[in-house]
Amino acid sequence: MLGSKKRSLKTLSILMIALVLVLSACTKSTPATDTSSTTPQTNEATKDTGKFPKAATNQNPAIQGGTMTYGLVSDTPFEGILNPVFYSGNPDFEVIQFFYPSLFNNDASFNIKDGGAATLSFSQDNKTATVKIDDKLNWTDGNPVTAEDYAFAFEVIGNPDYDGVRYDSTFTNIVGMEDYHAKKAKTISGIKVVNDKELQISFISPDPSIKAGLWSYPLEKKVFGDIPVAKMSSSDPVRKNPIGYGPFKIKSMVTGESVQFEANKDYFHGAPKLDGVNLKVVNPSVIVESLRSGDIDMASFPTSAYDEKTLPTNIEMLGVQDLAYSYLGFKLGKWDKSKGENVMNPDAKMANKSLRQAMGYAMNNAQVGEQLYHGLRTAASSLIIPAFSDYYDPSIKGYTYDPEKAKQLLDQAGYVDKDGDGFREDPKGNKLVINFASMSGDSVAEPLAQFYIQNWKDVGLNVQLLDGRLQEFNSFYDRIEKDDPDVDIYSAAWGTGTDVNPAGLYGRTAQFDYSRYTSEENDKLLKEGVSEKAFDNAYRKDVYKQWQELMIEDAPVIPTLYRYGLTAINKRIKNFDISYGSGYGGDALAGIELTSETPIK
Amino acid sequence: MWKFTLRRILIMIPQLFVLSVLVFFVAKAMPGDALTGLIQNNPNLSPQMIAEQRERMGLNDPAMVQYARWVGNLFHGDLGISYVHKVDVTYLIGSRLANTFYLGVAILILTYIISIPLGILSGRYQNSLLDKTITGYTYLSFATPLFIFALVVVFVFGFQLGWFPTSGSVDAGVQPGTWDYFMNRLHHLLLPAFAGAFVSTTATIQYLRNEVIDTRLKDFVKTARSKGVPESKVYSRHILRNSLLPIAAFLGYDLTAVLAGNLFIESIFGYPGLGQLFLQSITQRDFSVVTALVMISGLLALIGTLLSDIILSWVDPRIRIS
Repeated sequence: MLGSKKRSLKTLSILMIALVLVLSACTKSTPATDTSSTTPQTNEATKDTGKFPKAATNQNPAIQGGTMTYGLVSDTPFEGILNPVFYSGNPDFEVIQFFYPSLFNNDASFNIKDGGAATLSFSQDNKTATVKIDDKLNWTDGNPVTAEDYAFAFEVIGNPDYDGVRYDSTFTNIVGMEDYHAKKAKTISGIKVVNDKELQISFISPDPSIKAGLWSYPLEKKVFGDIPVAKMSSSDPVRKNPIGYGPFKIKSMVTGESVQFEANKDYFHGAPKLDGVNLKVVNPSVIVESLRSGDIDMASFPTSAYDEKTLPTNIEMLGVQDLAYSYLGFKLGKWDKSKGENVMNPDAKMANKSLRQAMGYAMNNAQVGEQLYHGLRTAASSLIIPAFSDYYDPSIKGYTYDPEKAKQLLDQAGYVDKDGDGFREDPKGNKLVINFASMSGDSVAEPLAQFYIQNWKDVGLNVQLLDGRLQEFNSFYDRIEKDDPDVDIYSAAWGTGTDVNPAGLYGRTAQFDYSRYTSEENDKLLKEGVSEKAFDNAYRKDVYKQWQELMIEDAPVIPTLYRYGLTAINKRIKNFDISYGSGYGGDALAGIELTSETPIK
Repeated sequence: MWKFTLRRILIMIPQLFVLSVLVFFVAKAMPGDALTGLIQNNPNLSPQMIAEQRERMGLNDPAMVQYARWVGNLFHGDLGISYVHKVDVTYLIGSRLANTFYLGVAILILTYIISIPLGILSGRYQNSLLDKTITGYTYLSFATPLFIFALVVVFVFGFQLGWFPTSGSVDAGVQPGTWDYFMNRLHHLLLPAFAGAFVSTTATIQYLRNEVIDTRLKDFVKTARSKGVPESKVYSRHILRNSLLPIAAFLGYDLTAVLAGNLFIESIFGYPGLGQLFLQSITQRDFSVVTALVMISGLLALIGTLLSDIILSWVDPRIRIS
């Protein structure tokens, strides 16, 4: 039992990111003026998002101040890299959000909008972005947060000695960044400090994804300026006495275990309502009891611990859809290293489109979500998740369970049982055995894989687990990345992040497009989606609608499940909303109130 | 005696060398590395960035080169840098070592406090109801899986009765070095230590029981009795001392176990120690930490056996081989 829990550590942390993003996007409860939540709900997947409230329903009068206990659900200590520039583990991020929030506010589709600690505007040609930092925004050591601090973060991340993972395509698109990264230039020519609070960033090509993906944290130059970049992540200002500008500041800390936050009275949007927050690490196996006993007021609730029947009555469960989806991938080719391109193999076992579509129709994902995941997962319909409410197209039905249609497709494509063993042969009459790579992890992993295999057997397809067993996380990805010829199909999941642009996962030059699918149409649509024209949201919407349809039709991967991220709160917590896009993250935490001195038991 | 010790220490050198080769290449043979699957979180990561990181960490060098570099650094006391934690491995292990040590010692002490009296009583009153109860207890504790017992203990004493904190090694905000700090740590330590001790008493109790029963029938005990030594003194002076000797010899091994960490307990009580660090490092392929921890525990195991042998040969001259 514990063995499998440990194995799933990395997988769990992956799930956690989505839960964490939920919290980071959480906001103070404002009257429901947000129109995005009233999108027509026609699809099964979106209809279901109403299952959990998204904001605390507590209406009792609030007390003055008070201290809340936050449970960081993790079976390992947090690493203690408490700076957004350097951290990599999600437990660290859960700590960071209290004292070092993002500069920007986001709308329901995660595009940057006003209302945060900085504003973003674009030049006429959309090639230059101007970021203005709030005049009142100060670090908790008293220094103002300056444009120079913000520029400094770019310099550190772009530095070749930087040891974190943030140097991505949003950075390389900045003018002069690659030269700076290659040490050909001393400064980044595309980043210009206009004045104390204003920074200009020039981009090589205009890309609407900047609106969601622009780096959003400054790094205090007065503190880090003298530390060599390679030493920063292990330095004291990251490890021992981290400083931010958020609603809370660190009062004391036991690294890896617990943090005592106190209110930052000088928070730029006004002092937070709470006097402080105590954060401590709680093992997933005791989280339910911790909530029941009132030890913990708030926690990202691990879906594996969820069971409607045994939930404590003193807590309220808030839920939104995670920024992630599970999918079934078909290996259609190889990554050509010399060309830097995905190359499809027309003779691949899964090259037949009808076969892929049939496998999609054969899977009963609604039942999987309901029975294996207690309703915390729902059948997925599209590769763009409903959380991207501007771009998700609810009219796309995707692959709903229809075994008859699956059989029909297979019959038409020539996959028929010729030797009468109950399994279909391929059109040439050869035996067809499909090798399925599936990851081990939580207790559901095995039944889930077996369930799908049974689904496929029902339509006459012989699918076998790769090597007859589930694959451990690292070896799974190792084999998928290296295009192991033994793998025909695989099930995995993607976190989507907050940028809707799927080009990193499905493009011709995308090394992470593990299916190795390419097509002209796909190239064209992905390019259009981030073109200058796509700054017009209506155009972008249309492009991504076409792309979603294309991916469902061509079926190089089939989306299987969307998931809920849950946040459990004690019923004494008031004024807390986790829905996407309803306000600035720092303000959400600053606005939390309590309605009794002690937790409700 | 000195010659014996010195010889044993010299033998440790080739042993450690073989261990280092094994550890390093077995660790490298694991599929994937610290950057595998990272993309699953963040689709914006660029493959170039990941390739650069691999290059920077030296993961692309031939295995022999990596091994030579690692061993070279070992001689300088440099265990490398943890990719996941982004600090020196020595610092990382150091920060967990104290916790693990306190927990291990507390478990050890509690184990002896519980098992020595029970073992002696059980041996002295062999086949009595008391003996049967104690033996029953040992069967029970032997059969109880630690992680279930730990959960039950947390549930009863932590949540239901509220006597003990349920997670962590110390509360945030207590000033280190003060009496309060010490008491706070002790308070956090007791419950996990008890959980660990409960399931580790079996061997000692059974062993001691058998020793007592054995020793009871020895000639020198009969002699003592016939001299008219009171029964209580026979036990405390003659039987107990002789029965405890072999137990003392195990102390060397126990000390190794103390520093190995206790995965289940650390996990359930949210107590940051080396056991958890080891497992986390394996699943996340944090090679430098994995290899460092195996080397350290290998070294400790060798030292532990050496200590045991020294203790044994000290208390029992017959073992002292020329």
